[in-house]
Amino acid sequence: MNYGSLLDAAGAQALAFAWLRDAVAPAGDYGRRAFDRLEPFAPGQEAAAAARAASIAELARSLPLQRIDALREAFGAAPDALGAIARASMGDALSDAQFLELVRWGDAVRRVDVLLAGSAQAQPVAGEAFEAVMAGIEPGRAGAFGFYLGDAFDERLREARARLAALQAEFDAARGREIAAVAAELGRDVSTDEFIVMRSDLRGSLPLAVRVLREAPTYVLCTLQYGAAALAALERRDAAANAVAEAEETVRRRLSSLVRAHAAALDRAAAAFGALDVAVAAARFAAVYQCAVPRVEADAPFEFAGGRFLPLALELEVQGRSFTPIDVRLSGIAVLTGPNMGGKSVCLRTCGFVAMCAAFGLPVPAAAAQTPLFDEIAWLGIGSGEERLGGLLSSFAREVVRLRDVLERAAPRLFVLIDEFARTTTPNEGKALLVALIERLRERGACGMAATHLSGVARAAGSEHFAVKGLRGIPQRPPTEDLNEALTILAETMDYRIAPVGAQAEDRSDAIALAALLGLDDELVARAYAAL
Amino acid sequence: MPVGRELLDLWRASGARSLFVVGIGKNVGKTVTMRAVYDAAGAGDATVGLTSIGRDGEASDAGDGAPKPRLWLRPKTVVATARDVLPRSPASELLDLLNLPTAAGDVLLARVAQPAYYELVGPPTASGVRRCVDALLSRCDLALVDGAIDRVAALAGGRDAIVVAAGAASADSMNDAVEQVRALVQRLGVPQFDPHEPFRRVDGALTPALAADLIAAREPRQIVVRDPTQIALSGKAASHALERLRLRCERPLHAIAATIASIGRERTFEPKAFARAVAAATGLPTFDVYAETRAA
Repeated sequence: MNYGSLLDAAGAQALAFAWLRDAVAPAGDYGRRAFDRLEPFAPGQEAAAAARAASIAELARSLPLQRIDALREAFGAAPDALGAIARASMGDALSDAQFLELVRWGDAVRRVDVLLAGSAQAQPVAGEAFEAVMAGIEPGRAGAFGFYLGDAFDERLREARARLAALQAEFDAARGREIAAVAAELGRDVSTDEFIVMRSDLRGSLPLAVRVLREAPTYVLCTLQYGAAALAALERRDAAANAVAEAEETVRRRLSSLVRAHAAALDRAAAAFGALDVAVAAARFAAVYQCAVPRVEADAPFEFAGGRFLPLALELEVQGRSFTPIDVRLSGIAVLTGPNMGGKSVCLRTCGFVAMCAAFGLPVPAAAAQTPLFDEIAWLGIGSGEERLGGLLSSFAREVVRLRDVLERAAPRLFVLIDEFARTTTPNEGKALLVALIERLRERGACGMAATHLSGVARAAGSEHFAVKGLRGIPQRPPTEDLNEALTILAETMDYRIAPVGAQAEDRSDAIALAALLGLDDELVARAYAAL
Repeated sequence: MPVGRELLDLWRASGARSLFVVGIGKNVGKTVTMRAVYDAAGAGDATVGLTSIGRDGEASDAGDGAPKPRLWLRPKTVVATARDVLPRSPASELLDLLNLPTAAGDVLLARVAQPAYYELVGPPTASGVRRCVDALLSRCDLALVDGAIDRVAALAGGRDAIVVAAGAASADSMNDAVEQVRALVQRLGVPQFDPHEPFRRVDGALTPALAADLIAAREPRQIVVRDPTQIALSGKAASHALERLRLRCERPLHAIAATIASIGRERTFEPKAFARAVAAATGLPTFDVYAETRAA
């Protein structure tokens, strides 16, 4: 799954693209192949994006989670047989390991077809050609998981093996007699190709069949030569072994021809199998995170209700906290204000995450949503992770360079998320820059949201203005200095929901109250209130 | 009694189902030792599984082309080996794909259908070797592993018997070879720690630097590692540390015997003297697999 030109690296990081990719990653090799080619839908492909999201949601509805997990197990267990199919297509005789891969893949396909029966994806992968190939290989099935090029494939193979077994026994007997004779003469066992005879143990001379490889003062290193009977038996055995090899290869060539004859159908089955793996992974994502099918239309506003930024929601869940779902409706560039730690950045990320999911044709983590498709989702601001030019650029300079890049790319349909742009310069000029930027983006027809602490931006830019609802009163500092406890109190006191406010609304940051909650000393806090 | 049979009896007496043959270097008779034990096991009705830490059973040395001892396997033997070295003929019964990559393809589990020469190429990781051993033991009575001194980490977490192999090919002199095998056996034979006495636990490996610090500090307590594979010292450094520190482990390993190969390509040692020296240095029953003798 690639974000292509939808995001840049900084945007991908800020919007947790890697998290989403992992969350919808397929379980097996076939799915991964399809998944690696997955690109976001572009403007003009709204119907296709909506259809994909709808089909994934339908699949999620029609499959219990337990069955989805069983399907993923089957996808994950299927060995990659595409190499074998390709080799057979080229005219190669496959190896037994490749036949085993085909058998095991065939089992996985059949299991998947059974598990999907009655679901929204009931079209089986296994077709007539697939079954013909599997039937051809079936005599090689050995036990539950194995493959053996057994005698059942060919009567000549059976005969060749029987002859080899007889001649092997004949050779073993002849050679055994020679070894036994030497062992008896030496008065010891001889079981290695090279062996040592201590001169002190030697009674008389070495047996005739023993050849000396190296002599030392106390011992001789020897090997045992083949006698005439053993050599003749060996020749017959080797000829029989060659006949077995030829018979085995004949069977392999025959089976490989069968694979070659149906290679195109097998390729199609493999592609369908991979696509199902991708779809089932997405269905699992939709089911586990209770996602909704978005309405995707070119002229729709960007809107969702009950939206969640899933990576943070899960992190909070682990900590025993919960994510407050938010509602957003954007038809141009809106301004978002609110207190520190009130969730402005999370609101932006939620917007970006929902837009990103929709762009990939996925159900979105919201109760309901509608959105157009965008050429680019741009993230400007905190958390972009932009380290280009190292320490040569200040944080303000980096923001400006990123902004310049986004404006130069001039995506026709731009979704832009601006997180406290120009926060590190003087409020007066920072505000002027931000207002100018909002005006420029509006002229370009961009959609998005700019979070800021700068006062009066929405009014000056003539933008819609949203605000985080903020603190429900002044939070009480915890009796201990424990930061986690302070954060819990904050979470209980903060209303993270977003609401539209009038253009004349007063911007709140609740900064002094939060500083007190987080442990700043009382005297300093009192001075701050006095100076306000 | 044939040497292979004596080794097999020692293995069975240890209670372990897997046996690692660990050599002090290359061409020290590991494969010959393994073959002797394999042949002895085959004389009974035990089913045997084989694998390797590395590559074994090849017809000739990859370095100098010299012939090497090969593995002629009988039907029903199970091997865990890389798919590219599995003989194309006679066909083997393929039992499982283990998804463990090696330079010669993924490891698969195969049962010998007709007798043939087999080459063993095992996975490069310790965890991979353990998976192979577990897979073999799920289908066989006994598992034999051709090991390597620099890969003893594969012994971690198992309940294996160990045979150490010493040979003229890996040392400049007999004394050197004996010292190497003594250090290896000492290292593998680190005893279990006594929880009633003071101890200091080492998380991870006991490195030369850490051992030097402990020796310098005259550490009197037991130094406890998880198992002897965590002692990252060899040769004289290992002997030195073992003399000066009370090295102990949580899970001891079980060296049951030593074997010798007194013939190297460049030098030979006097077989009986070499066997006696190895037996004295290691305290283990010591066998010459080429002379079919046990050190007195």
